[in-house]
Amino acid sequence: MSGFETYLLERTQAKDSHLLKVARGLGTYGALKKILDTPLTPKDVIEELKESGLRGRGGAGFPTGLKWSFMPDADKDTRKRYLALNADESEPGTCKDRVLMREDPHTVIEGCLIAAFAMRLDAVYIYVRGEYRVPYERLAVAIEEARTAGLVGPRILGSDFSCEIHMHKGAGAYICGEETGLMESLEGKRGHPRPKPPFPAGFGLWGQPTTVNNVETIYNAPFILERGAQWFRSMGTKKSPGNFLCGISGHVEKPGVYEIPLGMPARQILDEFAGGVWKKRALKAWIPGGSSTGFLKPDAIDTSMDHDSLKEAQSMFGTGAMIILDETASVVRSALTLMNFYEHESCGQCSQCREGTQWLAQIFQRIHDGQGRMEDIQLLEDLANGMAPGKTICALSDAAAIPTHSVIRNFKDELVEYVREGGHPDLRGKQPAVHQEVGV
Amino acid sequence: MSQSEAKDSGARDTAMVTITINGREVEADPSKPLIAACHAEGEEVPHYCYHPGLSPVGSCRICQVGVQQGQMPPRVMAACRTPVAEGMVVDTEAPKAHDARRECLEFLLKNHPLDCPICDKAGECTLQDYSFDEGQGEGRSVEPRRKLDKRKSLGDVIVLDQERCILCSRCVRFFEEVPETPQLCIGERGSHSVVETFMNRPLTGNYQGNLADICPVGALTLKEFRFQARVWNLHKVASTCAGCSRGCAVTTEVLRKHEVKRFRPRHEPAVNGYWMCDTGRFALEAPNREHRLCGGILRGGSGQAQPVDTRTALEVARDMLIVHGEALIVASPFLTVEEGRELLALGKTLGARPVFLSPEPNDLTDDLLHTGDPCPNRRGLSELGFDALPVEEVLETLPSYESALLVGERLIDMLGAKNLATLPTALRVVLLECHYVDSPSIDVAVGIPNHVEREGTWVNVDGHAGRIAIARPTPEGVWMATRTIDTLHELLTMSAPGADAPGSATPGAIPSTPGAEATLG
Ligand SMILES: Cc1cc2nc3c(=O)[nH]c(=O)nc-3n(C[C@H](O)[C@H](O)[C@H](O)COP(=O)(O)O)c2cc1C
Ligand code: SF4
Ligand code: SF4
Ligand code: FES
Repeated sequence: MSGFETYLLERTQAKDSHLLKVARGLGTYGALKKILDTPLTPKDVIEELKESGLRGRGGAGFPTGLKWSFMPDADKDTRKRYLALNADESEPGTCKDRVLMREDPHTVIEGCLIAAFAMRLDAVYIYVRGEYRVPYERLAVAIEEARTAGLVGPRILGSDFSCEIHMHKGAGAYICGEETGLMESLEGKRGHPRPKPPFPAGFGLWGQPTTVNNVETIYNAPFILERGAQWFRSMGTKKSPGNFLCGISGHVEKPGVYEIPLGMPARQILDEFAGGVWKKRALKAWIPGGSSTGFLKPDAIDTSMDHDSLKEAQSMFGTGAMIILDETASVVRSALTLMNFYEHESCGQCSQCREGTQWLAQIFQRIHDGQGRMEDIQLLEDLANGMAPGKTICALSDAAAIPTHSVIRNFKDELVEYVREGGHPDLRGKQPAVHQEVGV
Repeated sequence: MSQSEAKDSGARDTAMVTITINGREVEADPSKPLIAACHAEGEEVPHYCYHPGLSPVGSCRICQVGVQQGQMPPRVMAACRTPVAEGMVVDTEAPKAHDARRECLEFLLKNHPLDCPICDKAGECTLQDYSFDEGQGEGRSVEPRRKLDKRKSLGDVIVLDQERCILCSRCVRFFEEVPETPQLCIGERGSHSVVETFMNRPLTGNYQGNLADICPVGALTLKEFRFQARVWNLHKVASTCAGCSRGCAVTTEVLRKHEVKRFRPRHEPAVNGYWMCDTGRFALEAPNREHRLCGGILRGGSGQAQPVDTRTALEVARDMLIVHGEALIVASPFLTVEEGRELLALGKTLGARPVFLSPEPNDLTDDLLHTGDPCPNRRGLSELGFDALPVEEVLETLPSYESALLVGERLIDMLGAKNLATLPTALRVVLLECHYVDSPSIDVAVGIPNHVEREGTWVNVDGHAGRIAIARPTPEGVWMATRTIDTLHELLTMSAPGADAPGSATPGAIPSTPGAEATLG
């Protein structure tokens, strides 16, 4: 395997790594202790984060130190302050946070505590995807272990730094992973994203200053604080430093979650880590960073997996979750699957998203079933243009529009073929499929 | 006063900012969203979820306008959730904004049933209006439309058509924020979303009718109004509700110069904001009651009711009031200030005591609008100098007078026809009313218009002067109430003691209406 420094999955490899005594042996809580033992101020911690160049791993790639610095000055704004840890991990293809929570919950907790110290928070809320039973339980047990050991709660490790950590279980809605939908859900309401402004740093959970971060983002913090921003910058690229967890799935020999330095070409990840496209088949299409980042052609497989390079390839780094489709796969059918997902998960507030996700799904369904029309291709494009960018309250609408655009841009031939030849190859020449009414 | 208005007035202290809307520099209130500034400037910005009386949620996404701020390039933004900021440059007609609105409309129409020909909202529906203004001519959807419940009863007042609903959530927020009795919610999710009541319970409360006004489409309609009229056939005039002493600003809406079909609230910040109660909204029976008293009715020595014209009846009334000089004047609480003033002058000429009938408060009072006082002009009449007298007291004191002049609509209802019938025969009763009740105790009756046929001022409980207006012609042979009172007064003045010098004889008597009528006397 390629020689590069790893840290993200190191601790998860140990036996019983989820238990406090094992975790401590592996160095967990070392960074927290270092912060509390030295005269480091909250500002210093945020500066270190800024210098490291860490970017959020939840999808948008926003610089974490900058995000933390948006929190109002705690001396002037005396409201309660929170971190909402986004462990809702529901973007199709994405399965990295699960590994961290299940195998190394203590470093997740340590990351939360460092964030709490840096932003002078009162409490941390961890919002865990409902289906993540074991990660939830491991985290819950770990918090209790940490509390007993004086690592969570009042006067942590005898210092005057206190912080509570609460857990919350989601109920299976993708939209509750969107940061403001998550906050509404935490407050006990429906997961309806809020229009921005106001932004969470000014008006978040219960109207208080709040920062939302992804689990993997927070997981990086203890390592950066312990080993320094310069160490972090020695990995990855200039604008996207560090390593990331690449969940790779689909038609590969060895699907899984791998630690990869940002900037590694996608082909290298596919071949060296995932064992290549399975059954020695050729690559047909791939998704670089979770379903919302769209379908790319095989000729883009040499693109580096980092924010800038993927943007140039008219896609996004997203959650870094690669999905591989081999030559036998149908892009139209895959797009249909995704559109059914977005239709199902749209919260329904915005006209464009509520109606658009359904409409896109219906059109892909017809094209798939052999009832497509040539003008549907233009219609798909127009609808996707009507749904994004930035036309709705949250980015779910964009998340449905981006893959649609990508299919038209990169796989138009297949669309045309389906329209001309009567749908998916399995259906051609057979009785026309009974038209399904989507969303009735 | 509605709480939305309370919010409005509280916000006025904030310093105004200067922004540019479509090339004009204007002052804008930073406590309100950009869309409010645009509307204040008379710029039409389409909106569905935004309603000035409700909190903005920014969900329908139709209100997109072009906005340029600072060094940033122009962007298309939802005007209802964009705060105004100093120096902001707004172009409501930016091509990109037009595009965004057109696209939004296409999505909203995708599942819309397009049953406009049978929709009560047609003509007042903003989905129709904005589609006409900036939608595209042709629908591009070939997908089956959503099939949902088209006539779901939500209680006694409202019917919901889920297929027409565009999920703007105004109705949900209305109950949360105005009467503060949350009863509606959006059920299900995404394209399956529907408006429903909690556990399918019927809606309750005295403010349900407002849903039909705020629903931008024909999803929430009034059972009372359903399939009753095409709204473009309604003649609408600005008026004031007769339901209680709040005097909510309303429009009176009349079909074919005949039937009052609707009362609807009219925005009046000082009184009712955007709302009205169901009691007032559905008070259609009284203004539409048939069997109006047209002209006059006399009950001569025969004891038979005998129809005569208004003037003849007034002359008989004059004779009666002169002979039986000790009179009590009982005004209806529905009289306007103008009518009250004339009646007071007449009373002075006659030397009669003026009172107005003050029925018991009812139990409809609430914290929002309804005062529980059924007298729409209590304050106006009190300020003029009429004493408020409860029904029992009026009935008790009447027999101690020689004659009674009862003036105004609904007096028979309020006094009770039975009670009127038992008044002593010695008492001479002159009744100016909209209706007649055949009773031996009523000697002269003259028809007057009701409150949708008159104009004038009612002063509400807080001293706000509301206007009532003529929404339909008076029935054949019925004079304006002021003219009737005035003519009677004039007749009295001419025959009053020392009336040889008309005009100077009675101090305080107002000059009578000049013209042909006067010469007839
Ligand atoms: C529809 C939608 C779903 C999302 N789901 C998740 C999620 O499951 N987990 C996550 O960390 N971020 C998710 N995000 C991104 C969050 O809104 C937010 O940007 C992120 O949690 C910020 O964390 P970061 O700055 O650490 O990346 C989602 C965004 C959208 C629009
Ligand atoms: S974009 Fe879609 S998911 Fe996001 S708030 Fe709007 S309707 Fe809900
Ligand atoms: S019923 Fe009317 S007011 Fe209520 S959400 Fe639907 S369209 Fe809006
Ligand atoms: S009116 Fe602005 S989003 Fe609905």
